[in-house]
Amino acid sequence: MADHGGLARVLSKQDFNPENFVGKLAEGPGGESDLLVMKTKVQVLSDETAHSLKKNVYKNYFQFIETAKEISILEGEMYQLSHTLTEQKSLMSSMMEMSLVSDKAIVEEPKEQEQDNPEEETRKNLAFLLEKVEGCSSVTEVPGRHLVHNSDLAELDAESFMQIQRVHSFLLNDSLMIATWLPNRRGPVRYRFQGLYELDSLAVVNVRDAGPVKNAFKILMFPDSKMYQADSAKAKRQWLDILEETKKRKASRDKQKREAALFLAEQQLVTLTTPTEDSNPFGEEDESEALAAIETDFLNSDWIQELPEDLDMCIAQRDFEGAVDLVERVNEYLKDCPKVPAVKEFRARIDHRVKQLTEGLMGELQVSPERSLRGGPRAARRAVMQLIRLGKSAQACDLFLKNRSSIIKYNIRQLKFEGATTLYIRRLCDVFIPCLSETGKEFMKAFQDHYGCMSAFVVWAKKELQMFVSTVNRQVFGGKSSMSVIAECLHNARQQCEELSQIGLDVSFLFESLIATDLERVIRENKDQIIEGVKYRAQDDKWRPMNHLSHTDCLKFVEEMSAGGLDLKNYIYDACFINLTMNTANFSKSCLSFAHDVLLVHTPEIDHLVTEAIADIFRAEVTHIEDSIRNKNFNREHKFILKNAQFVLEVIMSKIEAAYKEQGVVFPKQLLDINGEYRRLKSVVKSLGAS
Amino acid sequence: MFSCWNRRPKPAVMSKAKTQQPAVIHKVIMVGSGGVGKSALTLQFMYDEFVEDYEPTKADSYRKKVVLDGEEVQIDILDTAGQEDYAAIRDNYFRSGEGFLCVFSITEQESFQATAEFREQILRVKNDDNIPFLLVGNKCDLEDKRQVTIDEAQTRAQQWAVPYVETSAKTRANVDKVFYDLMREIRSRKMEAIRQSNGKKIRKKESKKRKCTIL
Repeated sequence: MADHGGLARVLSKQDFNPENFVGKLAEGPGGESDLLVMKTKVQVLSDETAHSLKKNVYKNYFQFIETAKEISILEGEMYQLSHTLTEQKSLMSSMMEMSLVSDKAIVEEPKEQEQDNPEEETRKNLAFLLEKVEGCSSVTEVPGRHLVHNSDLAELDAESFMQIQRVHSFLLNDSLMIATWLPNRRGPVRYRFQGLYELDSLAVVNVRDAGPVKNAFKILMFPDSKMYQADSAKAKRQWLDILEETKKRKASRDKQKREAALFLAEQQLVTLTTPTEDSNPFGEEDESEALAAIETDFLNSDWIQELPEDLDMCIAQRDFEGAVDLVERVNEYLKDCPKVPAVKEFRARIDHRVKQLTEGLMGELQVSPERSLRGGPRAARRAVMQLIRLGKSAQACDLFLKNRSSIIKYNIRQLKFEGATTLYIRRLCDVFIPCLSETGKEFMKAFQDHYGCMSAFVVWAKKELQMFVSTVNRQVFGGKSSMSVIAECLHNARQQCEELSQIGLDVSFLFESLIATDLERVIRENKDQIIEGVKYRAQDDKWRPMNHLSHTDCLKFVEEMSAGGLDLKNYIYDACFINLTMNTANFSKSCLSFAHDVLLVHTPEIDHLVTEAIADIFRAEVTHIEDSIRNKNFNREHKFILKNAQFVLEVIMSKIEAAYKEQGVVFPKQLLDINGEYRRLKSVVKSLGAS
Repeated sequence: MFSCWNRRPKPAVMSKAKTQQPAVIHKVIMVGSGGVGKSALTLQFMYDEFVEDYEPTKADSYRKKVVLDGEEVQIDILDTAGQEDYAAIRDNYFRSGEGFLCVFSITEQESFQATAEFREQILRVKNDDNIPFLLVGNKCDLEDKRQVTIDEAQTRAQQWAVPYVETSAKTRANVDKVFYDLMREIRSRKMEAIRQSNGKKIRKKESKKRKCTIL
């Protein structure tokens, strides 16, 4: 081979010259024999090459197939991706087309309530302004402000009536905001903030006749006067009416305020709104004064000034810890501040952000189909911690547990039911119980000092367990599972439940109570079935020893029985006979397995039931034996019958006793009594024999 | 903090060219108590119609092409509400005007008294004692119900150094006259203003120059 390798190397040299090679060979001293050897070598080499070539072709072919498969998978993924993208695109475009607030709803809406609970409604109402209009965040931060009406308008030049630009105006309850339309803009932000005008100083002029220009009206606001054109006469009418109405309402509201707290109202007018005082035509100067007023001692430090922006940034970057740090810091700082309007207003701005932050955090915990659940409880802990710091432990607790629920559900759904109930239940337990205990540990870590939340966890655990048990019940009791399968499943589940006590959660009693009725029913049914079997077999019991016809068959049977815990070796005689009836063997087998199963699921609560069931079964068999003894047809078989009776009542019963002991349960008196039946049967036989 | 609020919109970009309309616009404002006939005068002037039924005006504006002494101009009439509650808003109306027709009804003494308040407010807002201004006594067709005598009105007009004209929106008496007279005043004021501003500029330049030499 090494020789071949050398030759191969020579032949595969880059500058191999066949003519030289052959020439050298021919000149060589070896003569013909050498040439022949060389020929075979080359022959072998060529065969080998062909072979490896074939192999390589195969290998490449397989690789090719594999690559093709990968490509097709990739293609599928790409297709899915593009599908998702188009879907999202269409969703976005439909969202853009949808007007968020229909005009009608707005006209009816504004009632005087907004003074009572300004926060909630207003935020919602104005939130969409933020989305639609660029640079209007300060507009939405005034408490109690809400949107009354809005629509597209065209801004006209007041002199020439030529259209200048498209705008969208938003009538708020205390002011009018104009935003210019941004052309070629995608996404929700369609407008840029242009100006906000107090209704107090806003003069509206209905442009009755302006030549070719229809549906126009003017807004006079010092120092500007603007002219706008509505789409239709109706739209214009609506604008004028609503403006009028809103102005009136504001006037009456202001009057009330002024009467109630003249001083306060004035203060707020200065700080919260653009300061166009009724009698003051010099707006510009006033504004700077207003700004100056805000600069109270408490709010003029740099970090406080930048705080809202910093918060926004943290939230946007999902730096939740940083955001919460900031919030805590400012809370601490503002605690000692007097409740002057400026501080209140600042407070409102912070609160707005805290709300955003909370929503962001809650979003983290929210379960949505597109988010993978693989993060586990540790991933949720981060958000939970921050929420707790923000004082939202109740929400955090709720969301955390919900999150866990869906993780459990997801994991259970991942399990595949593959026929074997026992296996499935074991896996189910393996998934559920560790999940529960993990949640418990995680919960205690996350909500360390919030004992109030602990009860929520317990309630949650109970609910989850109920769900779990209902799944178990469905699988275990619902199908036609045999007693031994049921017993094993329940035994398994029960053991797992006990493990939960490690985290201080005892769910065993709950589990028991949830399965009790089904379990009892199954035990009863099985007992009845066995007794039925006993009665059925009794009808054609001929009291003959079992004849297995051949020694091998006989041994096979014995082996089978020994798997069920019965040793019949001593009963073999004549190579193929067993000194018991078929009936006895069958009874013993079913009885033993039943006893074994029920003892596996034994609890003190069902002790009585178990004992009674076993006793009943034995009584049925004893009755059968006694009947047979008294039957004249079997007069000659008394000895054999007694042998069977002894097997059943002493050997089998002792095995059951052993099983009781194994489970650590006291062997009940009823069964001991049945043990004594054998003596009674013997005496019956004796008395019959005597007569 | 509130910088966004203060941001004044940039001066409107004038749309390109296209001005078949006369460039000159005279802005006239109708002021006076409610029900004295401001709208009636306006409508008579605009459409040669007399509107009998009364409906309080909020604030309407009209525009019309007219020939003023051979020159084609536009008149922009702002018909204000007699019952505007907000002084601040009334200020805004007045600010936009170049000339005022202060209307009262000769059949209602109170409306005449109210003209003093209007005058005062206009002067305050415009900060100009020589603002084009006409005192107009309307409803002169209702001579039998007259409560304000011509003398009374003229005395006041003289005090203010403004013309006094009696009109009737119903008969169209003097309707055109008051509008055209006011427009002429506005026009002459504008001319003067242009001259003054030019003069100012020149003076400013001069003063600057002088300063330089001194330094």
